[in-house]
Amino acid sequence: MSTSLDAKPNYLDYPRLSREQARAAAAQLIAMTGDGSPVHDALLPRIQRFYLREARLLDEERHEEWYAMLADDLFYWMPLRENRFRRDKRPEFDPDNMALFDESKADIAVRIGRLASRLAWTEDPPTRHVYLVTGIEAFETAVVGEYEIHYAFVQYRNRSEHDAAMLCGRRRDLLRATGDSFQVARRMILLPQSVLLTKNLSAFF
Amino acid sequence: MEKNGDRAVTPTAADWVDWEVGTVDRRIFWDQAIYERELERVFARSWLFVAHESQVQAPGSFVTTYMGEDSVIVARDDDGIAVFLNSCPHRGNRVCFADSGQARQFTCNYHGWTFGLDGALKRMPKVGLYKSTPGFRMQDWGLKRARVADYKGLVFATFAEEAPELEDWLGDFRWYLDAVLDAEAGGTEFLPGGATRSVMGCNWKFPADNFVGDIYHALWTHLGGAEPTLGRHGGVQVENAGSYQVSVNGHGWEFNDSFLGNAATMGDRDLLRYMRSRQEAITARLGKFRADMWGSVASATIFPNFSFLPGYFTFRTFQPKGPLKTEIHAWTLVPKDMPDDIKDRFRRGSMRTFSPSGLLEMDDGENWEHSTSANAGWITRHQRLCYAMAPGGDLERNDLPGIVSAGQLSDANQRLFYKRWAEMMDAESWADIPVAQPTAGAKVDA
Repeated sequence: MSTSLDAKPNYLDYPRLSREQARAAAAQLIAMTGDGSPVHDALLPRIQRFYLREARLLDEERHEEWYAMLADDLFYWMPLRENRFRRDKRPEFDPDNMALFDESKADIAVRIGRLASRLAWTEDPPTRHVYLVTGIEAFETAVVGEYEIHYAFVQYRNRSEHDAAMLCGRRRDLLRATGDSFQVARRMILLPQSVLLTKNLSAFF
Repeated sequence: MEKNGDRAVTPTAADWVDWEVGTVDRRIFWDQAIYERELERVFARSWLFVAHESQVQAPGSFVTTYMGEDSVIVARDDDGIAVFLNSCPHRGNRVCFADSGQARQFTCNYHGWTFGLDGALKRMPKVGLYKSTPGFRMQDWGLKRARVADYKGLVFATFAEEAPELEDWLGDFRWYLDAVLDAEAGGTEFLPGGATRSVMGCNWKFPADNFVGDIYHALWTHLGGAEPTLGRHGGVQVENAGSYQVSVNGHGWEFNDSFLGNAATMGDRDLLRYMRSRQEAITARLGKFRADMWGSVASATIFPNFSFLPGYFTFRTFQPKGPLKTEIHAWTLVPKDMPDDIKDRFRRGSMRTFSPSGLLEMDDGENWEHSTSANAGWITRHQRLCYAMAPGGDLERNDLPGIVSAGQLSDANQRLFYKRWAEMMDAESWADIPVAQPTAGAKVDA
């Protein structure tokens, strides 16, 4: 992708899901319960390597390389968390509800464009990130070459002098084999915070 | 407090704010004693936004929120919407821990006192202990209720018995509010899923004064966020020709006549096409002047801490959590009769611009945090801040209600926000707080 200042990319031409596709992707993520067959033992280390690399690329602000790890039909979703009584009958996650991220790949490109513009003053000097990913579980799905992944993460951010935030959460991914690597096709990020105890989510998850 | 002979001299809020020249003492963003007085004299006296009626539509539906630092429950019973303290009068425990839901009653976890949807005490375990207590009356121990009123779907409440009616509190600001609340027939609603909530280490007045009249910051702060959607330096078109600031009782709105200037930064062509398709009908409904405000480059605050942005239609409260901490609660408001697909585009568009993950909001928080934290320095906080910008002066337009100034690039509304703040801080009672007399309505386009 081009993020040069003079040639602004036309983000309208970037890959974008229709609303129906996004809803279907959300339904798929909600239905992921980790009940399938675990992937073959030989595959798991490759999947782990993929996620370790992803974390490192994000730590190092190598956003364009990270962008290449995302499938064109990406659905990237961070629903809101609400405090509700256990007896509450409403579904906990609904793709039509307000969310913190509800993105196609094109929207990720716009966010990378913000950083690449060098006009985002609040990222200059840059924020320092450390991602930890752990507890990776991988399962077969009904589609050959697509895997259901569950894992936990910690994202620590620090900028300026005393400005620090630590977000922990869980992710569910639909990971697709592409040649000798993978791409993220669906991602659901679940933060446990109902009130975000930080001022923003100026980061990728 | 300084002693001057026998006379105790306490600085008044009018000393903190020179609204005519436009300077503000930085201690009002830092001082704990001033903050405590704000809770008493600003928040406990104001009509505060508590919910959109669409959040509490069915009988038994409720949300919890805050009025100042007071936790409250907003519940719908058969008689309407009631607002009452979310703190048990028995030992003070919080009564309802859910953000929203359906309930027939609210039961305190501590001893099991149970309250109705109107806040009244209904029953408690081993009630006989109280029945045999001389002088104990159930009706004395309900959850304290607030006055409740609404304006076109927005529900406000106050615990101040002596406060004027909501319609007088909003006054002529209602005429402008119709540009977002009554642009389409059928009323408005908040999109579902609850509020996005986040915490900032800033004083609540910085975001409130930003929304009341600071479009100036957008030209610089938001360059990075606007660049990817609208192109470098082309993102935000703001001029003083064809734009205004208007203030009524400290509420303020700065706006231009671009109809969809704010909305354009969401970068969704289908959404803009839809908005254009509605321009003629909205113009017929509101007149050209207010129709042009619908989604224009604009921001507004309803005093003290309820703000919104036309075009993105994000509505948010800046909940005070001490002088150095503010919680932002944000919702997206849309006309009820808007097609579902367009509502969904606003849901995603407002999220991507003005939410904790929003490309534009992400740039704001750090500014407000450091405008606040810098005041740790004793020398620093004794330097007054500059709210002096006044390029256009007051505008003599008797066809527009409120105090109108020419040009949205100005500190006019912010000066009047702090004037209102000082009036409320210094007033001994509500009787000492001036309220602008509502006029019959504006003549423009009428």
